[in-house]
Amino acid sequence: MFLTHLTSSPHFYAILYAVICLLAAFNIFEVLFLFAHQYRLKRREAAKEELKHMISTAIITVTEPAAVLPKPGGAMEYEAYSETAASIIESFEGELAERAARLVQEFRISLHYQSLAKNSVWYKRAHAIDILSSLKLKDNRDFFNAAFSSEASNPVKYRILYGLSLLVRDRLDILDLAGKLAALPYLTAKFTEDVFFNCITVLKAAGKEEEFGLFLEQIRSEEGIPVKVKRDCLSACHAAACERAEPAVKEYYKAFQAEPEIIVACIKTLVTAGDFSILPEALRHKDWRVRLTALKHVHLFRSDISPDHNTLLHDPEYHFAALPEILRHKDWRTRLEDLKHAHLGNSEILRALQPLLHDHNYHIRLNAAQALAKMGPRGLEMLREEMTSPDKFAAETARYALNGGWTTQ
Amino acid sequence: MAKILVVDDDEPIRLIYQAYLTKDGHTVETAADGMQALEKIASFHPDLVMLDINMPKMSGFEVAKRMKENPETKDIPIFIMTSLKQELNIKKAYDLGIDEYITKPTSVEHLKLRVNKFLKKKGCGC
Repeated sequence: MFLTHLTSSPHFYAILYAVICLLAAFNIFEVLFLFAHQYRLKRREAAKEELKHMISTAIITVTEPAAVLPKPGGAMEYEAYSETAASIIESFEGELAERAARLVQEFRISLHYQSLAKNSVWYKRAHAIDILSSLKLKDNRDFFNAAFSSEASNPVKYRILYGLSLLVRDRLDILDLAGKLAALPYLTAKFTEDVFFNCITVLKAAGKEEEFGLFLEQIRSEEGIPVKVKRDCLSACHAAACERAEPAVKEYYKAFQAEPEIIVACIKTLVTAGDFSILPEALRHKDWRVRLTALKHVHLFRSDISPDHNTLLHDPEYHFAALPEILRHKDWRTRLEDLKHAHLGNSEILRALQPLLHDHNYHIRLNAAQALAKMGPRGLEMLREEMTSPDKFAAETARYALNGGWTTQ
Repeated sequence: MAKILVVDDDEPIRLIYQAYLTKDGHTVETAADGMQALEKIASFHPDLVMLDINMPKMSGFEVAKRMKENPETKDIPIFIMTSLKQELNIKKAYDLGIDEYITKPTSVEHLKLRVNKFLKKKGCGC
């Protein structure tokens, strides 16, 4: 009805023309606005870079940089000061880092972000917490603790804990951190490991690495700390090469025999620290993941335990029962990882290896051939048969292996 | 004195390395990412490359790998300067053939000593 009325109107074309003109004007305005915004952003970034350059130069050349630099006024200035200071604090120690930290204090950069961390919007609080964390200032510890108590959003709480992990002083601080972490839903193994990795790094820098071992001992029988968190603590020990925690890790190995993931983390940590004494026992473990982890480190074995090791390696019931299954794993990385140990296996492994010479993944074919080449006459015979295969990639790989392409791992 | 290329995406860090190493008499050029680093290596022919790992466009690992694959750049010594302290990264870097793995934070004086000592060993007359 309305459309009929509109199209029969003598002003229809005039109205249509006006609407088109309006739309065109709107589009032109929108494009101009976007260009202007882009130009403004570029100018802002350029001004920020210029200011960062000035701040860096002042920190390099002047003992008291605050005396020669302008006080920050707007958001851009605060960003430039905090980013420059954070970069320098993270990369340098000594005089330069001290100058950067003094500048942050004198210009009250921390206080600015502490007030932003009380914003009603959660992601703005999270951003402010990230910046405060990057500054690694000890004065922020109390603020973080208070913020954690009053914070309602879990994403912000995780960030606060990350910030706190960079400021720990001793095992009591880590204990408090672990308690706070345990009270939150478990996020990821990577996050938890990173948090404890930070703790170890900070303690190492302060010459108090043994504090982490004491912390591990303290939480071993603590039921309030989930097993997953304990496992991540041990993984952090491995990643940060926390050698002083070795006695505590050994106790975990003894106490958590029913928890394969803990045992796997213990083996990795102990072997990194040069302690192979748990390997013979680990090779007999009922869980295949533990046996496999131990197998991955057998090349580090000491000669006095090798007879035991050799006997075990040829016992299919113990060590290789799981391998054929793993060699057919859907993830090529798993197949590849386990192929590296397949040459130690028995005839069942041999049969499982042959199809892998035709695997679509180059690394798998390569490692399968390598394993077969190490498996004696039967493995070599299989490779010879493969040389006439219609699969030219498999044939080439077999030929390469037989020509001594890989004599050692 | 040696020609040193500093590769780091963080401008304050590049400035600091440049200022302190220039003070020691070295000629220092900088690059802000991996791609720029490879271009500078080809034109500047540095005696030493100081490389960060986490960078945009191309990581320090990739730069080191490409340098070692290229017959013209494979002998240029590489110092990795990074805050990545995990054993895994250290092993990966040494497997690529780098010469030193220096973890941040480090003091400028310590860094200068290591660079100068290394260059002296290599016969750069520093």
